[in-house]
Amino acid sequence: MPVIPAEQVHAGPYPTQEELVQTLLAGQTLLDDTPDHVIQVVDVLKSYGEVLDAYSINLIYQAEEQFLNPFPVLKYLDGDLSPAKLWRHFWHDRINFEYAEYCMKAMLWHGTGGLDEYLDSPEFASNCEAIIACKRRRDPLQGLLHPLFPQFLPELIRTAATTHALGQFWRIMSDLFIDLAEAEAKGEVSSIAGVVDFIRDRLVAAAGNPITYKVRIAGQDFWVLPPEAGLTFLVDVAVPYVEAVFLRGTPFLGTVSFNAQAKQISADQSSFKYGALYADPLPSMGAGIPPSLCMQDMYRHLPERLHNWYHNCTRGEGDVRVKICQSFQKSMFCVTNAAIKGTFPHPLDSTDPAEQEANAAYANAWASRLVVARTNALG
Amino acid sequence: MNAHLPLSIQLSWLIPLYGFSGVLLSLPWATGWVKRNGPRPAAYLNLLMTVLGVAHGSLILAWVQQNGGVVIEWPWFETSGLDLRIGFDLSLTNLAALEFVTIMSLLGQVFALGYLDKEWSLARFYALLGFFEGAMAGVVLSSNLFLSYFVLEMLTLSTYLLVGFWYAQPLVVTAARDAFLTKRVGDVLLLMSVVALAAWAGSLDFEDLYAWAAQVKADGSISPLLGTLIGLGLIAGPMGKCAQFPMHLWLDEAMEGPNPASILRNSAVVTCGALVLLKVMPLLQLSPVAIDVLLIIGTISAIGGALVAIAQVDIKRAFSYGTTSYLGLVFVAIAVQQPIVAVLLLFAHGLAKALIFMSVGSVIATTNCQDITELGGLGPRMPATTGSYLIAGAGLTGVLPLGCFWCFGLLVDGLWANYPWLVPVVLLTNALTAFNLVRVFRQVFLDKPHPKTKRTPEVNWLMALPMVSLAVVVLLVPLIFHRIYPIAGVEVVSLFSMVAVVVSSLVGVVIASGIALDKFGSRSVFKPLRTLQDLLAYDFYTERFYRSTVVAFVAFLARITDAFDRLLLNRFVNRVGTSSMVSAEGLRLAVSGQTQSYVLTVLLAIVLLLSALVWWRAA
Amino acid sequence: MLTALLLIPFIGGLALLLLPSSVAPVRMRSVAIVFLSLQLLLSVALLIPFDPSVGTPQLVEFTPWVSRIGLDYRLAVDGLSLPLILINAALTLVSAVCTRDISQRPRIYFSMLLLISGAVNGAFLADNLLLFVIFYELELIPLWLLIAVWGGANRGYASTKFLIFTAVSGFLILAAFFGLALVSGSVNFNITPALTENLPVATQLVLLVTLLIGFGIKIPLVPFHVWLPDAHTQASTPVSVMLAGVLLKLGTYGLLRFGLGLFQEVWPLVAPWLAIWAAISVLYGSLAAIAQSDMKRMVAFSSVGHMGYVLLAAAAATPTALLGAVFQMVSHGVISALLFLLVGTVYRKTGTRDLSVIRGLLNPERGLPLTGTLMILGVMASAGLPGMAGFISEFLVFQGSIQAFPLATLLSMVGSGLTAVYFLLLVNRAFFGRLAVTPVEDPVAHGRLDVQLAAVAPRETIPAVALALSVVGIGLIPSALSRISDSATQLMAQMPGGMG
Repeated sequence: MPVIPAEQVHAGPYPTQEELVQTLLAGQTLLDDTPDHVIQVVDVLKSYGEVLDAYSINLIYQAEEQFLNPFPVLKYLDGDLSPAKLWRHFWHDRINFEYAEYCMKAMLWHGTGGLDEYLDSPEFASNCEAIIACKRRRDPLQGLLHPLFPQFLPELIRTAATTHALGQFWRIMSDLFIDLAEAEAKGEVSSIAGVVDFIRDRLVAAAGNPITYKVRIAGQDFWVLPPEAGLTFLVDVAVPYVEAVFLRGTPFLGTVSFNAQAKQISADQSSFKYGALYADPLPSMGAGIPPSLCMQDMYRHLPERLHNWYHNCTRGEGDVRVKICQSFQKSMFCVTNAAIKGTFPHPLDSTDPAEQEANAAYANAWASRLVVARTNALG
Repeated sequence: MNAHLPLSIQLSWLIPLYGFSGVLLSLPWATGWVKRNGPRPAAYLNLLMTVLGVAHGSLILAWVQQNGGVVIEWPWFETSGLDLRIGFDLSLTNLAALEFVTIMSLLGQVFALGYLDKEWSLARFYALLGFFEGAMAGVVLSSNLFLSYFVLEMLTLSTYLLVGFWYAQPLVVTAARDAFLTKRVGDVLLLMSVVALAAWAGSLDFEDLYAWAAQVKADGSISPLLGTLIGLGLIAGPMGKCAQFPMHLWLDEAMEGPNPASILRNSAVVTCGALVLLKVMPLLQLSPVAIDVLLIIGTISAIGGALVAIAQVDIKRAFSYGTTSYLGLVFVAIAVQQPIVAVLLLFAHGLAKALIFMSVGSVIATTNCQDITELGGLGPRMPATTGSYLIAGAGLTGVLPLGCFWCFGLLVDGLWANYPWLVPVVLLTNALTAFNLVRVFRQVFLDKPHPKTKRTPEVNWLMALPMVSLAVVVLLVPLIFHRIYPIAGVEVVSLFSMVAVVVSSLVGVVIASGIALDKFGSRSVFKPLRTLQDLLAYDFYTERFYRSTVVAFVAFLARITDAFDRLLLNRFVNRVGTSSMVSAEGLRLAVSGQTQSYVLTVLLAIVLLLSALVWWRAA
Repeated sequence: MLTALLLIPFIGGLALLLLPSSVAPVRMRSVAIVFLSLQLLLSVALLIPFDPSVGTPQLVEFTPWVSRIGLDYRLAVDGLSLPLILINAALTLVSAVCTRDISQRPRIYFSMLLLISGAVNGAFLADNLLLFVIFYELELIPLWLLIAVWGGANRGYASTKFLIFTAVSGFLILAAFFGLALVSGSVNFNITPALTENLPVATQLVLLVTLLIGFGIKIPLVPFHVWLPDAHTQASTPVSVMLAGVLLKLGTYGLLRFGLGLFQEVWPLVAPWLAIWAAISVLYGSLAAIAQSDMKRMVAFSSVGHMGYVLLAAAAATPTALLGAVFQMVSHGVISALLFLLVGTVYRKTGTRDLSVIRGLLNPERGLPLTGTLMILGVMASAGLPGMAGFISEFLVFQGSIQAFPLATLLSMVGSGLTAVYFLLLVNRAFFGRLAVTPVEDPVAHGRLDVQLAAVAPRETIPAVALALSVVGIGLIPSALSRISDSATQLMAQMPGGMG
């Protein structure tokens, strides 16, 4: 019994690659522009924005305050050790920061883009050396382990760097999504096309934001990702994030066998199709489906309007988290759409044939990946 | 109840309940009653119950070390023909096994908090682990065969549920089914023996059964055939539990389950199965055949398992077959009447194997990959994982004086006098295991980083901490042995055995250091070697063999029965029906809606019947 | 008190018939539930005067009726019938509660249900052969109606088959009883072994075999089971619950009470054949179940197999085996009722029972997770997993029978192993995997994203949860049941026919 491939899981129709290219080049939206979709996308992104806010704060806290801590027992508490917070943490009445770490690990593991390249650079190695030299003096365990396992601490610093970069990325995305909801509430955005344009504009505006990261050890500041590295928001973090989380993802233990002999998982990571645009929403909240955590977080921050909308379809409250997942997939197509729209090599209304061709090639490259995604969510 | 016993012993019935209560405590989260909050409190509650279990077990162990073992019983089910009791044999060995099981469960649960950190069904997982732990505690303490069977079967159920944890994953569906059915075959055979013993011996208490077996052996009051059948049934249950050839298939498939459960399955569960075998061992004197079978199965499993292991590319399966192999040696030790060596080997293997599965779990969690040909270069970056792997490897083989070194030494010594032909079996198993460990180590931890292992930070502390703690325990195993069984030490193992064990290990290590490493999907170009490789990689084609024999046979019988039922029996009935005078047409009135009139008809019919009766009696 | 157990359901049934048809169906169900709850309360209250240390029938109520033909109104209860009375009360209540689709003639439906329950009580309590036959026949027609009117598409065929088979069963039983009276020349139809005392062995054998076939149809034993799978598949869920949980027990009860109880002299002669018959039934039922793809048919065939254990126990007739028979009747009643309820839930929500169509119902959000969990519990109980009712029953049966009939017992145990095979197939196919309710052959449809099954309301699960709890309860505290029945089964085993 094979894993059910995406093309067998129907809801709406699947557009062909040609249709996708046409849609992209015409500047139209991938997602059908309906009032229901606007409610779903805007509200799910609003709750996602609130969740990302918490994720972002925590990832940055972890990277800065829990740096190389061997027992980060309280890493999800953001430094707030009040009894009420401790109790809520114990009682699991909290955001599932594990999902944020999961996304970070996916980014780190897939290792694409400028950030990843920098992590392998000699400059980064020398940054690490300085940090480790300082750390070793105060931590005998690390002092002992470093000579034996020379890549141990650098790898953890790479992890922290990715954590911090993702935190910075999500900071921007969180603000974006919450602003989008406000804009929609004010009536400034009222269609899917408006949503896509809003996101595109904000992404383009933030594209050049620098990504930097420094840690403080014993009163001394060390750069991990210095400004000189020239890492920027869009190409060095956002694009690798989309690659790692939207497109590739990692196989879910709950739906894919890791058995080496069964060969269900490709040896080539770049051909992975487990990301948010490919995942099957139906098993959400089942066993072995990590995004369930994110769906739960969004469920806890669900805007009233969308919650009421969900109450009137299928099982109402009973399967609300699967519906969130479906809406979330739609909204992620919108975000992808905005990102594609914002990164065309040339203006779409260009009349220069060479530029048109370049645009067509770019659209085609995306369409070839999207055509096997769950584009049935678009209808 | 013996009032003079301390409270901890009087309350020893609580011990399995610590685990079982975890099931109930997890229910609010597992069933989804708690909808807004996450499932972690269920995990914490289970951990708390396990800690209580460990503490209670330790109290009893301390008392028993001072005062000697006791057997303690509670009535459960008494009828005119039967008296079934819940009985615990609080002996030193059983309590040591209990500590082993509960501590393993504790470590496994902490590890699972890290390994399954993004698992939403955590509560169900911990509920199942609690059930698992409760059943294992029951198995190790049980003082009668009925209770042993009772909890063993619960273990089968919890294995099914744990393997089936990721129920939506296609291979899990078959794996869970096969795990249950294979074990069930063993269990049903065991049940046959249990029922037979209950009928013939009149009691299922182990002590009574031992006395009965000795008496039967003396006076020959049951036929040798019956004795043999009972003996074979008794070993069938542990065979299934310990994944011995030919009932080993499930362990491979069970690797589809979550790794923390695999840790327990490969260490604690198989140990439970073997402990049951140890407990029924004195009964096997009824049947020399059963002992021979035990010996043969143990030998085949030891070597077969080790051979299959070296051909696996899946990192979990590479070591799960090793479990079959080591339990084979335990079977051999039991068959040659070396129970102490068997127990020591169980502990040494259980601890080291659990550690290696933790290490493997770390690798999988970090790399999202189980295929060793796609792994490499983890060594310099993952100190806890690498260190644990090395320590576990040393603990499993006879290369350093850790647990298994002494066990193998004792085993070789024990076999040398009466079963010299088994000595090479032990040494070969050891060499093959060493080969396998080094092979995997080179491929996964040395070698160059591959794409999937380019970024591999060490695992989080929830996984690292239990792993490192267990590594320390594995290093201390010889000391622990020395305290429990003073006989295991340098002074008793002969120099010859020690040399033989070390040399055999080194042979394995050296050969494995020299061979070329597999590339992804690579197979030998030399055809005979490739055939052999495939034969081993696919586990001697056992699965295919079963499918074309047992499964096909049952399916054939089922189809025949069904065909007989539909085509012969039903058709015959229909033929008779249509030709009989009871016309279906008339009866179909009911459907047409005149039910009320039918009730009247029925009443009328009954009245008529009765009148006829009156008339008949009167006449 | 025993009469009240007849009166409550009968009066309830009559009261329902007299209700104006304008009364809402839900109201009618409420009326039925009130009467059935009363019946359950009274059945439980029976435990108070009941003396478990007495093995013989007690709390006798006697009114001469048509004494001329030996028909007296004589009721009594003992350790054999009391558990069955309880099961009857509990499962009829469950049937009424779980009746969902009651738009069609609810008045008659519920009155029939009550009538069946009353008749079954009568049959279990009757301490007179003719009285038993009357009640036995009385239950037949209402049940036939329940299948024929409220059944599935092919109900005409199934109900006719049911009617013919069970009518023959009733006829054979009546014939055996009459024959007994005729040859013994007695006008006394009270149940006592004295009836057969002076009869020639050959005559006794003929009568016993007639009786065995009569009850064998009802139990049902292979090859007389042909009516059962069809009846189940066409009957609605509550009717299946009644049929499997309660009515089949009339057959096994009759087997023990009249077969073993009356024909003690010749019983040992037929016992070895009965044991073989039992083993064949067990294996046949299990193997046929493996081949089924309709979940309900599978459960129906499992009934054929599991009722075989009771025959095995009756053949061995040791105290342990007979106690096991009582346990098996009770646990089969509860477990099969549970399974039919759950299969019914699956059918109601998905519109199919086809195992080649349904997948992944454990899905927590859009599937039927609680139903799946209870189904796992139910099938494990049925497969004889310890801690649940099935295990202790099978253990008692096997342990009590193995010395008398080793081969038949071992074969029956193989059948018990096969139970795990087919039920695991059921669970793994229907509940594991990705959620889907469309044919596998159509992969595009099979993987549909928008699978939308109605949710199971918490209220709907109450009967199943209650049954599941009692399955576990009996499994963990079996002494509660053995205390009631032990004396009676022991006494029965000590009769000349028994092996005790």
